[in-house]
Amino acid sequence: MHRCSYLPLVTESVREVFVKSGVAFTGHDADIWYEYRGVPLKWHYPIGLLHDLLTSQYRGSSPLPWHIIIHFTNFPTDKLIRINAANIIDTPHDSFMSMIKEADYIRNGSIKKLMSLSKQDQTNLWQGLSSHDYDKFWNVNARLVTNDNTIPKYIPLRVYLLDQPVIQEPVAPVDDNLDCEYTLRDILGRMLPEIFPPSLDAPTTEGADNTRKSDASEAVAILHGIVIPIETPILWLSQNCSYPDNFLHIVICR
Amino acid sequence: MRGLHSRSILTSKRDTPTRLTTLDRFGCVRSPSASIVFTMSDNPTSPISSPPTPRTANPAAKVVVRFRATGNAPILKQNFYKITASQKFQTVMNFLRKELNYKAQDPLFLYVNSAFAPAPDEIVGNLYKCFGTEGNLIINYSTTAAWG
Repeated sequence: MHRCSYLPLVTESVREVFVKSGVAFTGHDADIWYEYRGVPLKWHYPIGLLHDLLTSQYRGSSPLPWHIIIHFTNFPTDKLIRINAANIIDTPHDSFMSMIKEADYIRNGSIKKLMSLSKQDQTNLWQGLSSHDYDKFWNVNARLVTNDNTIPKYIPLRVYLLDQPVIQEPVAPVDDNLDCEYTLRDILGRMLPEIFPPSLDAPTTEGADNTRKSDASEAVAILHGIVIPIETPILWLSQNCSYPDNFLHIVICR
Repeated sequence: MRGLHSRSILTSKRDTPTRLTTLDRFGCVRSPSASIVFTMSDNPTSPISSPPTPRTANPAAKVVVRFRATGNAPILKQNFYKITASQKFQTVMNFLRKELNYKAQDPLFLYVNSAFAPAPDEIVGNLYKCFGTEGNLIINYSTTAAWG
């Protein structure tokens, strides 16, 4: 499965495989859901994010392929958003476009940039994503994610921890004087100071730096399945490593 | 530094009635005779429903939501309500649907700042921190897909 895709986009072909091999399923694709180690998988999360979220704690002990379980009955409406059968593709499309709009709003304080794209360009975003047409998608998305080469007001970013609700708050890419680019360390240090203490390079009092070093070395930031160097500028990360929905979905693993 | 501190998510008293109804119980359906409880898991990896682990010092901090009708959508008698920051956006959706007496199949679309529709599991406190204006989180609602 593509990291930068969504579960509803693979359901039809997955269902066909199972039905061909004997599964007696006569329901609708909207009844199908997925689970990993007892956790129902949210269809509106990118597949890559789901993988990072649910397997990062098993790093080293749970190699690929990623084994997930497909269910054809008992959709858990208390844990997953139910898609109306008639809207099995429209709903993921609408959800994806809402994320793109939210990202544009975060960057610019409005969705004017997105809405100024032609209808065809807006359509090409989803079509490019769902058909894995890299050029079709990037011909449009390059403008959004680089913000037409202007510095965005804030960065579309969500931080995920395994034992806390999702964190999203205003993240400026540069300081007020526009002369200091914030790094991932700066951002995470402010969001989660107990997990990412202040820079270890700063002068410290005697004896304090060894303790901080051992506390900080435990946590890593994972994006697209790889550990991101903590000194990476957040603006560069946003322009080059965002998911197709224009967000940085960063999983913290301790 | 600009943008890196959380904004206050305590109830604003400016231009709002002094006593606001809280929407928290619309994590459940309001009617006393109803028994549906919506308790989607807060932690993305939790296999069972569990209480949210609050990040803020005050887990009971409230956000003021301001509803604005769009197009032909009915106007509420009261537009300002408060909700605990850790609640999901689904709670706001449940409340509005009930307040307008809309059934599950009646179309109702909710947007933040006339711009985008949050996913039902987005956290109200996060939405307020990122998109709140003048102490409120503005929720536009319509019976057709206005900005979809």
